[in-house]
Amino acid sequence: MPRTLRVRVDHTVCVGNAMCTAIAPGVFTLNDDRQSQVVDPAGETEEKILEAAENCPVGAILVENADTGERLFPATRELPNGPSARSSR
Amino acid sequence: MATAVHDDLFAPDVIADPYGYFGRLRAEDPVHWNGKYEVWVITRYDDVVWLIRHPELFSSEVFKRDPRPPYPPIPEADIQMYSLVREFFADFFIQHDRPSHTEMRMVVHGYFTPRAMEAWRPMVRAAIKDLLDEAEAKGQMDVMQDFATPLPVLVIARMLGLPQQDRRFIRELAQKLLFIGRGDPTRMRPLTDGINGLVDYLSPLIDERLAHPGDDLLSVLASGEGRGAYSRDEVLANAVLLLLAGHETTINLICNGTLALIRHPEQWALLQESPALAVRATEECLRYDPPVKSLQRIAAEDVDLRGNVLRKLDRARWFIPSANRDPGKFPEPDQFDITRDPNPHVAFGSGIHHCLGATLARVEGQEAFSALVERFPAMHLTTEELEYQPSITFRSLKALPVTWN
Repeated sequence: MPRTLRVRVDHTVCVGNAMCTAIAPGVFTLNDDRQSQVVDPAGETEEKILEAAENCPVGAILVENADTGERLFPATRELPNGPSARSSR
Repeated sequence: MATAVHDDLFAPDVIADPYGYFGRLRAEDPVHWNGKYEVWVITRYDDVVWLIRHPELFSSEVFKRDPRPPYPPIPEADIQMYSLVREFFADFFIQHDRPSHTEMRMVVHGYFTPRAMEAWRPMVRAAIKDLLDEAEAKGQMDVMQDFATPLPVLVIARMLGLPQQDRRFIRELAQKLLFIGRGDPTRMRPLTDGINGLVDYLSPLIDERLAHPGDDLLSVLASGEGRGAYSRDEVLANAVLLLLAGHETTINLICNGTLALIRHPEQWALLQESPALAVRATEECLRYDPPVKSLQRIAAEDVDLRGNVLRKLDRARWFIPSANRDPGKFPEPDQFDITRDPNPHVAFGSGIHHCLGATLARVEGQEAFSALVERFPAMHLTTEELEYQPSITFRSLKALPVTWN
């Protein structure tokens, strides 16, 4: 039984690069502003979702274990860089 | 709405101060028809973001689709050379639309993730130290020639797995390709020479990577041929693109950012006191005086924008310097403030074509500015006579001579 994920997109940094919608189309889609939004956090495998998060060029995607709250991406030890650095998450 | 602003995008006043010229257009005629070059000039932040996030309305296939001759005009005799240039540039993945754009970008996108680029930081830092050690010994430098130019060429050459001794040769050829954004009517000759030279140089290296793939960026790109995302010609063109895009823009980031910091000594001192501001300072440099001045799209259908009808196949050029200084988006837009937050500038564009190398540029900028303020607290210009290349694509200083004594 795969664990349940919480997936979020930070719209203050998302630039609509849309790589997440190409890598994990079952989870991410573009809204009217052409920013990514989560339609179904269980729409792809965990591996695909983490790949999408890793490939976000501005680090706008946050993935957590919904049951424990454990952060799966980005790892907390990672240095923030660029626009995502300003959010305190 | 009409405006009294002239239409010569290469005029000395526009090259010297794009903020004044495009700022006036932004206020008076934000979707401006430039009759001289037959191009729509888009200057407001919201319009720029909307345009580049609607790639189905504004195609990136500029070289492929544009039926008109290049602007400014070139001599009749050079049209043959233009055809070659046009075909070559049309193979750049950034000149593609979906779905081929996605397939082509996917091949190299994973190489440039924020995490992957972070792994290059120590190498970037070490390269900066070496360059600044050399400069320090001389007591003065041209930031352009001695620091901003060698750094990104060194980094991208290392990523592509090119021999370090080829760097000067690569830079010379790449400089010829920069004529693409310039008004010089004889520009087709250096463009053609640059293309031919780089293709001759890269062809055997790509053959070698296909036979014996490594983990370098050139091998990653070449693997796209086997995956069906690229033809061999497209691999070659995109190797040139990575080489070119990987350094000219970074040179401009470092030079323009260093100049902004020098002209705002209190900001220089602030960064020196608070090194953790390097991330925000780099974002502010990208906003305040961006490396890329403008890029172009071509209307895929008739589009209504602020009451103007952009007809199918019309050219639309969006100007980053004016979007980044739009008072509708940024409070005190003409203030250089390295603590600015949020800072949603469009120096890297937006949407599906958002700069592939953005994180690498950020790492290089952060490390470069940190090192400069730490090592040279008293850095100042040795001349106020600064000149820019006559380009509408790049915001490139010709030189940035400084000293710190």
